[in-house]
Order: sequence, then structure tokens, then C-alpha cells
Amino acid sequence: MRIAFAGNPNSGKTTMYNALTGRSEKVGNWAGVTIGKNDAPLKSEFSGGKDVIAVDLPGAYSMSPFTPEEGITSEYVREENPDAIVNIVDATNLSRSLFFTTQLLELGVPVVVALNKSDINEKEGTTIDIAKLEEKLGCPVIKTVSTEKSNNGLSEVIEKAISLAGTEQKAPYLQADIDLHDKAQVDAEDRKRFSFVNGIVGEVETRKQLSTEETTSDKVDKVLTNPVAGIIIFAGVMWCVFAISQTYLGTWIADWLVGWIEMFQEWVAGKLESAPPVLQTILADGVVGGVGAVVGFLPLVMVMYFLIALLEDCGYMARVSAVMDPIFKRVGLSGKSVIPIIIGTGCGIPAIMGSRTIRDERERRATAMLTTFIPCGAKIPVIALFAGAFFAGAGWVTFVSYFTGILLIFLGALLVKAVTGYKYRKSFFIMELPKYKAPSLVRAFWSMMERAKAYIIKAATIILVCNLVVQLMQTYNWSFEVVPEGAEDTSILATIASPFAVLLVPLGFGVWQLAAAAITGFIAKENVVGTLAVVYGLTRFIDVEELEMTGGANTVAAAMGLTTVTALAYLFFNLFTPPCFAAIGAMNSEMQSKGWLWSAIGLQLATGYTVAFLVNQIGTLVVEGHLAAGFLPGLIAIAIMVVVIVLISRKIRAGFDEKYELHRKAGQAA
Amino acid sequence: MNIPTLVGIIVLAAILFFAIRYMVKEKKKGTACIGCPAAGTCEKHKSCSGGCH
Repeated sequence: MRIAFAGNPNSGKTTMYNALTGRSEKVGNWAGVTIGKNDAPLKSEFSGGKDVIAVDLPGAYSMSPFTPEEGITSEYVREENPDAIVNIVDATNLSRSLFFTTQLLELGVPVVVALNKSDINEKEGTTIDIAKLEEKLGCPVIKTVSTEKSNNGLSEVIEKAISLAGTEQKAPYLQADIDLHDKAQVDAEDRKRFSFVNGIVGEVETRKQLSTEETTSDKVDKVLTNPVAGIIIFAGVMWCVFAISQTYLGTWIADWLVGWIEMFQEWVAGKLESAPPVLQTILADGVVGGVGAVVGFLPLVMVMYFLIALLEDCGYMARVSAVMDPIFKRVGLSGKSVIPIIIGTGCGIPAIMGSRTIRDERERRATAMLTTFIPCGAKIPVIALFAGAFFAGAGWVTFVSYFTGILLIFLGALLVKAVTGYKYRKSFFIMELPKYKAPSLVRAFWSMMERAKAYIIKAATIILVCNLVVQLMQTYNWSFEVVPEGAEDTSILATIASPFAVLLVPLGFGVWQLAAAAITGFIAKENVVGTLAVVYGLTRFIDVEELEMTGGANTVAAAMGLTTVTALAYLFFNLFTPPCFAAIGAMNSEMQSKGWLWSAIGLQLATGYTVAFLVNQIGTLVVEGHLAAGFLPGLIAIAIMVVVIVLISRKIRAGFDEKYELHRKAGQAA
Repeated sequence: MNIPTLVGIIVLAAILFFAIRYMVKEKKKGTACIGCPAAGTCEKHKSCSGGCH
């Protein structure tokens, strides 16, 4: 038996689905979190031992899809014949929700209405006459609060859905036989349905506070979504998040953790004292040291995700989307591009996948191309390492990294707009702002733990294997003999990375160790930290006492031999060059065009190189009064990139103008 | 070969075996990015837009 969970966006479908199945699919206090269908068996306490599959569908406002994810929902309930539908209705917004309900009731499949978020209604003094609503709709209506652990109404909903499975559903409203291609007829029919729904709502709902009255929430929204104040507040909020996670709380916990890791490494090295030095190096330095260096940053990542989860849950991040929307439209992206970019602070892959909700192909591809400029969770250790080693753990490094990412998205979008030609259609971004609420510490905790689990799995698998390979490549030369001390440049790793290092001279970090770390970063960005730990023989990247004592001139900085300027250039190079291979794979899938994919990779490489070049050359000029080494070759490399972009642009625009001319002529002939 | 060396080799081999086995299993399941919190979603939505990756 299959029960479909359908309803408007942000009505709480996935929260209910997770509670019923025990899954932990991503939830969020905004519309559009679920972009695909999820299914899982119901917990036996709900299914009563029967084999019942719950199908969580993306949010939809109506059966006529406006976005691809709405299409998934309407297609499923129409064509896959579920045995019953649980329609999750946002009890705080009945009139909007029942439009879709009346359409579901027309399908003939038994429907159970779950009147979700009923607790908020009680707080606001809104009452709904359940018996009358049941009578009007002709289906069971049950109050639910899916966020509650007990007395949440979920068992009653499932019990009802199972008992009704296979029966015939009668519709309280039937759509007239109209031509669905005729916009005027469809509009008129929709208005009729709305007036039918409003009639029901008028009869069953009593509101203490009318929706036309200005609430405190509306007043707060006026400030938070103000085009100027909203951005300043957003910058301030993010500054606090980065400062707490990267400078204060996160660093203190990390310092404690790193101490334990270091002790463990010493213990392993001690136990292997009588073993061959190669084995000791591989196990203690490569495996424990390399993986430990990455794991050491876990507290920073966890604190940051905990704080972001709180911001999401209270409804603030949805306001950020509203603030960013006009700017994104101005640079030629969709307002919807904001959501993938916010998701991208966690992981680039779901962010790129999230771009599929954008209807316009060019905007969708441009979003998938640019979204990884926002540093993802895997890049946090890299930022934290350089902030700690070269800038005394300053929170501004993270802040600047994220805002440079946003700036590059804007500039990249303008470039894509210029290269691909004019933008003919205006895109619309309709987003319902969720109600403000006190964020749940428990939900934020579990969201953080999920990230932590993922981080540890990655460290114990990909990072571990990579570090081991790096350690072996550094230990042996091409004759498979152990590299003697002082001849490290003859190792396999050094000989492979050295040619790449030459290309990095204009950027200020033309040494094979840093080139090797940047290369392994394409497998997973945390590898930059792991590889640096292995090639420089360092583990303790975080040392609060050392930072306090020396203000950044610590052992890590000394070992790498970088200045603050070249360290910043290296950090930006790693942040803004192409993401890991898995994210590139996601881009390939979403773009569905080799031309766009290679353009994206080229743009990201060019951006990372140019940003690092500018930081190094301008920074050296400001700090030391002269340009850095390799200025001319670097300038030539950037000039070549510019020429390539201009040539591609001309080629695309030539075809574009030709097509436009054909369209114009066809229009004239008609 | 002394005992610490033997234990070290066994531990290293075991760590590698389990790490690689996990990665291979995940790849077979269709996960593109091991450890990514969205890996499951990606695997499930393969058909949504003509193949995930």
C-alpha cells in the first residue's frame, strides 16, 4: 500500500514524513526544500504491521505545475495511483491550501486532510470547525502538529488513510469541462474554485487577528527585507556566525579536540617505535596525522551549521532570499537562484541540484555554474586553517571569503549575461515568507549531527585513502626507494606537482607542496588540509595558546613559508577554482550540455587564478612596495583567458543574432 | 618481523579494507559524493533531470 503526502510548499510534509518513517530527509522553514520524490516504509507503530510505503512529494500550489518539482507531484498523484493521499494543509493559511485540496479530491483517490501547524492557530486564537470542514470537503480532517513527539495526530491520520484505501472519493467541487489551452477559460475556472474555497473558509474559520491587519511580524519583515537595511543586517548576522564558529566557541572546542588527536598520534608513533620508519610514517603521520588534521576542524563546522540551522528554523533565511532577489534579477539570474546559493553553504552538490527548480534554461545553467563560488562546508577547514595560521584566527577572513564568493557570483552572472546575449523574459520569484518562530535547539542539534556524521565518514574514507596515497607518493621516488632526507624534491609527489607549481608562481605560491594540496583538493576540498598536514608534517593546525602568544607567526605559517598576502591568495585560489569532482558531476547532470559544463570549469579556473593573481600582486605592491614575482607571465595568462571568453562570446552572439533575426522575420511574415 | 610491525600492517590493511569497501558500496548504490549529506537524495533523483551524475 502506498500513501502519498501532498500539500503546499512549507506545510510540513517532510517533517511529517520523517516522523512517520524515521528518515531524516532535509527539512527547512521555507518553501522548496523538497525537490524530488522520497519514499520509505512507515514505522510499524503507525502501519500496525502492514506493509505501507509513505511517499513524500515536493510542495505544489495546484495541479497545474508552474515549476518542475510541482510537475513531479501532479504527475505522481495523477498517474501512479496511490492507495490514499494525505493532504497536509497549513492550518494557518487555509484559503490558500484548500485550492489544492479541492483538486486532489477530484482524483477519486481517498484523501485525508492533515490540518498541520494547528498549535500555531491555537496561539493566534484562530479556530477551525473541523466537523463542518469535513462535511464541506467530504473527507476526514484531523488536526496535526508534526513537530510534536506525542499527541500529534499522526497515528489518527495514518489509521484513517489505511482504512479508506481503495474506497472511492467524492469531490465537493468539480472542474467544468474547459479547454485547458485557453488561458481565459482556465483563469475564470480558477477564480470560481477560489470563491468556492473562500466560501468554505468563511464558514469554518474564525480569526482573532485578520490577515489584513499589520502584525509585529510584518513590522519586523519591513526592516529585514528592506533592500538596504536587510543586506546590512544579513552581513552583521553572518559576521556573528563566523566569529562564534571560527574565532571563539568553535576554535576553543577544536583546540581541545586537536590536543587529544595529537596525543593519540604520539601514542601510535610510540607503539610503532620498533617498526620500520616507513610504516611509522604512513600510520602515524599519513593516516592519524592527515585525517586528524581534517577532523580537528570538525567543531568549527559543527558550530557553524548549528547556528545556520537556527537561522533557517526561525524563518530568517527565507527573508534573506527576499532581500537578495532584486539583486539577483538585476545581474541576470533568477530570484530562485538565492536558494541554491544558501544551500551551497552546506554542500555544493544539493545546491547545484536545487537549481533545477529554475524554469529558464539559461538562468538554471548559470546558477549551477556559479553557485559553488559560495564556500561549502568542505572549504571551512581550509578557511579556518589559513585564518588561524596567518591571521590569528580572525573571523573577518571567513566573512571576506563568503562575501567575495557572493561578489564573484554577481560578476560571473553579469559575464554570463554578457556572453550569452540579451535576456528576453523576466523571471518571477514567488516565495511565501514563513512565520517567525523560536528555533528548535533539538532540530538544530540533529541537523548539526547529520553534518558531523557526513564529515567523519568523508574523513574516514576518501580523506584517509587520499592522505595515505599522498604519504606514499611523498615517501618514495620513481625507483620505489625511500626518499632520503634533504632529497624530498625527488619524490613521486614532488615530480608530479612541480610542473603545476610553475604555473602558480605569479600567484605567489609556486612550490610543489602547495600545488599538490590544491590538486588533491579536487577530490575533496578537505584534502587541501590533509595534504598540507602530510607534506609539511604538521597536525596541530589549531593552537589557541600559540595564536594568542605569537599573533599568527606560528609554526604552521613558518613551515609553509607564505606571507599573509600569498596565504590569502592561496586560500582564494582553493575557494574559487572548480569544486570537487562530485560537484562537477552534478553540474554536468544539471546543465545537460558539454559546452556549458566546460565553460563553467573554464570560468571557475579563470576566476580562481585571476583572484589569486590580483590578491598576490596588489597585496605585495601595497605591503612591500613592489610587484610580486611572475607579474608579466601571470598577466599574459589572464589576457589569454580574456581573449578566449571574448571569442566564445562572439561565437554565441553570432548564432544568437541569427536566430533572433529569423524569429523577427517569421513574426513579420505572420 | 616484530609484533608492532605485524600489528601495524594488520591495522593499516584493515583500515584500508573497510574504507575502500565502504566507498565501493556507496558507489554501487549510485552515491556520487561519499559522506555528502545529500548523497541519498542525489541517488534517488537520478531520473528527475535525465541522470544525476
